[in-house]
Amino acid sequence: MWNSVEGFFSSNYVYWAANYFFFIYGAFLMIFYFTGVILANIAIKKNKLKSSFLQVSDIVSATDIPSVTLVAPAFNEGLTIIENVKSLLSIQYPYYEFILVNDGSTDDSLEKLIKEFDLEKKDATFIIQPITTATVKYIYKSRNKKYTHLTVIDKNNGGRADALNAGINFTTTELVICTDADCIIEQNALLKMVRPYLEEQEKEIIACGGGIGIANDSIIKNGILKELRLPENLVPLIQVVEYIRAFLLGRMAWGEINGLMLVSGAFGMYPRKRVIEVGGFDAKTVGEDLELCIRLRTHMENLKVPYKVVYLPETLCWTEGPPDHNILIKQRDRWARGLWETMSIHKKLFLNPKYRFMGILFYPYWLFFEFGAPIIEFLGLICIIAFSFLGWINWHSAILLFTLVYLIGCLFSTAAIFMYVKNFDHYNKPKQIVELLLAAYLEPFLYHPVLLYGQMKGYYKKLFGIKSGWGVMTRKGFKVSDT
Amino acid sequence: MSEEKFIFLIEVVAVLIVAVWISIASSLIYRKRRLKVLKYIEETFADIVSRYLYNDIQNPLTLIEIQRTLRKAGIKSHKKANIQYLINLMIRTQRTILGTNHKKLKMLYAQIPPYRVSISKITGFGWYRKAQGIREIYEMDQSQYRHNILRFRNHRNVYVRREAQIALVVFLGWESLRFLPYLKREISLWQQIKIVEKLYDLYPTPELPWLKKAYKTDKLFGKQLLMRGIRKYKLQAEVNFIIENLNHPNYEVRETAIYCIQTFVISDEWMVEVKEIFSILPDATQQMQLLKYIFNNSEIDLDFYLKHLYANNDDLKLKIAEILWNNGYKEKVQEFYYQQYAKINPYVE
Amino acid sequence: MKKVLVIQEDIIIKKILERLVGLNNYTARAIKSLDELNIEDQQTNFDLIITDILFEGIAPLEFVSQVQEIIPHKKLLIVTNMGQDKIKKEIYALQGISGFFSVPIDLDEIEKIIQAYR
Repeated sequence: MWNSVEGFFSSNYVYWAANYFFFIYGAFLMIFYFTGVILANIAIKKNKLKSSFLQVSDIVSATDIPSVTLVAPAFNEGLTIIENVKSLLSIQYPYYEFILVNDGSTDDSLEKLIKEFDLEKKDATFIIQPITTATVKYIYKSRNKKYTHLTVIDKNNGGRADALNAGINFTTTELVICTDADCIIEQNALLKMVRPYLEEQEKEIIACGGGIGIANDSIIKNGILKELRLPENLVPLIQVVEYIRAFLLGRMAWGEINGLMLVSGAFGMYPRKRVIEVGGFDAKTVGEDLELCIRLRTHMENLKVPYKVVYLPETLCWTEGPPDHNILIKQRDRWARGLWETMSIHKKLFLNPKYRFMGILFYPYWLFFEFGAPIIEFLGLICIIAFSFLGWINWHSAILLFTLVYLIGCLFSTAAIFMYVKNFDHYNKPKQIVELLLAAYLEPFLYHPVLLYGQMKGYYKKLFGIKSGWGVMTRKGFKVSDT
Repeated sequence: MSEEKFIFLIEVVAVLIVAVWISIASSLIYRKRRLKVLKYIEETFADIVSRYLYNDIQNPLTLIEIQRTLRKAGIKSHKKANIQYLINLMIRTQRTILGTNHKKLKMLYAQIPPYRVSISKITGFGWYRKAQGIREIYEMDQSQYRHNILRFRNHRNVYVRREAQIALVVFLGWESLRFLPYLKREISLWQQIKIVEKLYDLYPTPELPWLKKAYKTDKLFGKQLLMRGIRKYKLQAEVNFIIENLNHPNYEVRETAIYCIQTFVISDEWMVEVKEIFSILPDATQQMQLLKYIFNNSEIDLDFYLKHLYANNDDLKLKIAEILWNNGYKEKVQEFYYQQYAKINPYVE
Repeated sequence: MKKVLVIQEDIIIKKILERLVGLNNYTARAIKSLDELNIEDQQTNFDLIITDILFEGIAPLEFVSQVQEIIPHKKLLIVTNMGQDKIKKEIYALQGISGFFSVPIDLDEIEKIIQAYR
């Protein structure tokens, strides 16, 4: 067919093959996003209607609702640990326990906690450990009756997943919420999170997540968000839009067809029984939240028990996003490695009809459009450069196509912002909305390339076996108000 | 694709973006105005209710004044959203108050607008309006409409039948146990909770004949519902129904039984029964929960604990070892561990 | 005249309780949260405080002990939506609590207590 390599490349075959491949890939992505907007809209409306029959005020006064333990690991967070614990203690739920796991901190976190909360050491000889973890040294409980819901577990360092497992081992409640010590949880978050567990009739809820928001530069008082502000820097500002889009459109849409494969590690609720059955979080992967969710789903598929993974549209947890490009790259590098590891661990799901929709639709989607997207994008860039050198690009048409695709992207972001403004009251000033829209429109130029670089860096490390852990995520800390 | 088509598509998307901008702006303006209106209605209603319940003889509140004030606050028949908000406030208040004031509120609600809004909802189309109407009727205790509601108790929509079933409890009280444990479709945990709570709030005196008749149900949710009722009313004499279900083949029923038994202190004879059930429970986590109950509610029974110390489950062994260690039997725990050590180290004499 | 402080976030309950104590010949001061407390309030020795326990930014038990610490008072009544037995026990364990009412409440019972204090 072709006499030489040059012949192959000089034919139109490569050009058209590449063109069709990227076009079909892009078209599929567009269809997914468009369907996502419709499904998310349906899901949000349904959620709103349903919640009018089971309001927060009904749940707060109910007597037989399931008990919940919030588990938060902390490593060297001495600077903010007291504020963080007070914030997590103030969550409103009648049957609430809070376990802080000190994951072998080398700073003065534990001393500060002991002093502030009047903690007393308890023997840890007889603690039950259905999930194996690094050694638990001591358990601490407060002598002060004000802090009767607080337990501190002091253990050797084993990483975030290991610390969460140690906390889960110690819980005795039906439901467990996993979060991070520095997250700010909305006070009524638990009351909203248990709603699906209370309402479900035929299926078992194996995981429930809530929206996560970026609160850089917001004002914090007594551990709660006193004033939600938009971040001053562009990188976290764009993340606000990214999170709104991901949680409000992506998660809600997948939730509507019970296709959620991920409940974010920053805020996820699970039945203790099921987490213990599957052996807790996998301490060997950096994408432990995604991995656990897929493992739980696989477990339920194997048991042949009907199940559901659900998401709530409201932002229930606020966190500090990476404040600059460098930290953002580190974060996305880690996420990419976590995704790689999880996809690899669960490769048996791929097109496996035994796992029904998870095998034939959800896993392949994640493989092609979550895991594959950065690779395709990277290849696209290479093709553009190569084709332009070869003079194969009709620049006029290319610019028009780019403008069209860019505007469609802007339309999705604008729609997500609209849905957020319409349904929630967090960003309600015209100036904030304008800033969010501008951030959304700048995202493809100033943010996305950095994201791609971070993701490709993660894949590169995995491909060439370069060892890398969680990396240091330096945070600026929230602005704390004294008044 | 031709360039003209590209340009056309770009124009279409641009127009759509502008349309979404306009929607965002109108949504912002609407929310701001709406919040003000709602706040005013809430304040007006709070003032009316407080003055009505505790009327000042020097400055009495008349019905005409109430109606005039509500109208001024925007409660007019064509302003449906305002009316719905007022109904929500009325329900919120009615649910907060019991006793003579509850009856007074019922009287007030019968005399002020909106009139017949809730009943008209249940005859309309759409599950949401139906369910909403039923809820409003039972929450505001409009018992004159109860026959219109009861026919919805097996409705195909989960929310409609759920609200109708709760209405059944509100209007029939304990007699509703004639139907509830035998419903065709499953009921959720929330529904069980709500049924028991409504019963407890509105009918605080237990009517045991209805309860005893309902024990015959073979529906799993029915058994769970009855156990929750026994727990809520602290019916010590009925605790045997819970104990019988500790050993039920269904996990959820056992889970509810273990949860409910914790409210009660039981006799030694029953405790013997519970210990026997403990020994044959198929789930280790539930065994652990029951073990805690046994420990907290009975004297240390050394034979019982030693028997399970030498059984198979490691977590249980650890828990029992802890109990024995902390309750004066350290030597038994040491003895047990020496034996284990000898087993896994055959060269140690 | 004896003084009562009502702290309730729910405006309807707040108004009703304010009216109830007012008609029983008490001077009532009603606020939605501790943020509304002024210096004068903190210097007044209230004969009775009727408060909820669910407020923004503070755990229920911490709130009660804060009220006990910063507002001089003789008796403290809790009226709350989160009125489960477990919470009631925890609140009583803090000591110095005169009564605990979970919603739904019979206002006549509260009135009786108020009249008994008079």
